[in-house]
Amino acid sequence: MYVIVIGGGKVGYYLSKHLLERQYEVTLIEKDPRRAEALTGAGQLGEIVMVGDGDEMAFLATTGMERADVVVAVTGDDEDNLVACQLAKRKFKVPKTVARVNNPANVQIFKTLGVDVSLSATEVLLDLIERELAGKEPAGPATKR
Amino acid sequence: MKLIIVGCSRVGAMVARAMEEAGHEVTVVDSNRRSFDRLGTDFKGQMVLGNGIDEDVLRQAGIEHADGFASLTNGDNRNIMAAQIAREVFHVPKVITRIYDPIRQDVYQELGLNTICPTLAGARQIHAMLKGN
Repeated sequence: MYVIVIGGGKVGYYLSKHLLERQYEVTLIEKDPRRAEALTGAGQLGEIVMVGDGDEMAFLATTGMERADVVVAVTGDDEDNLVACQLAKRKFKVPKTVARVNNPANVQIFKTLGVDVSLSATEVLLDLIERELAGKEPAGPATKR
Repeated sequence: MKLIIVGCSRVGAMVARAMEEAGHEVTVVDSNRRSFDRLGTDFKGQMVLGNGIDEDVLRQAGIEHADGFASLTNGDNRNIMAAQIAREVFHVPKVITRIYDPIRQDVYQELGLNTICPTLAGARQIHAMLKGN
């Protein structure tokens, strides 16, 4: 199983690390050469890190994207994650694309625009908080707005 | 016609002014208040401060009733996303987007977006001028 992770921030780093531990083949794409170097360094991810723009077609072709099973875009910018997933899907025929979104409203928009799975940490936390509060307030969520 | 322009860039501001002078109802969206200075003091259209890829901001700009939409920020991906929201989510009849990267422009044109690539247009023009005609 080959997974390409786009965005070498904290999410991308830990995701890649755990995927490697679970024996997946992983490539991590990071735009910033200095950040990439830090990710490659001692005790880090090693040679799976590639420096390049996850939205640049010519570069993506060098990552072996056409044989990837999953592409996961986890940069901090929703628009970059969307375009990365769309290029993966439409141009490289990647079967499954996963995106991180910052604005919870974009979960639905990404679905409409062809991304297979999108996840908003904001939304997950929001749900969690509401559930917690719902347990404590007998009136439930209806009174909260 | 009701038109929405996302990105009060040089081009965005020029298009907005021209369309407003031609009698259209124009709304300009930009996340930087100072960009609106490009419109001049006599601009009578609406200005909405916010991110052009935020659905709520676009609603505030009146996208549900827009006849035309152009995304002209300086970011290709932002333009692409804004244009797709206008087209696929709000079904704006006419959507145009600027993409500087010729390869990405090619991809999204294939996918049905109306795109303009200043890089390609500029290069072609310079090439023609250098050839001397």
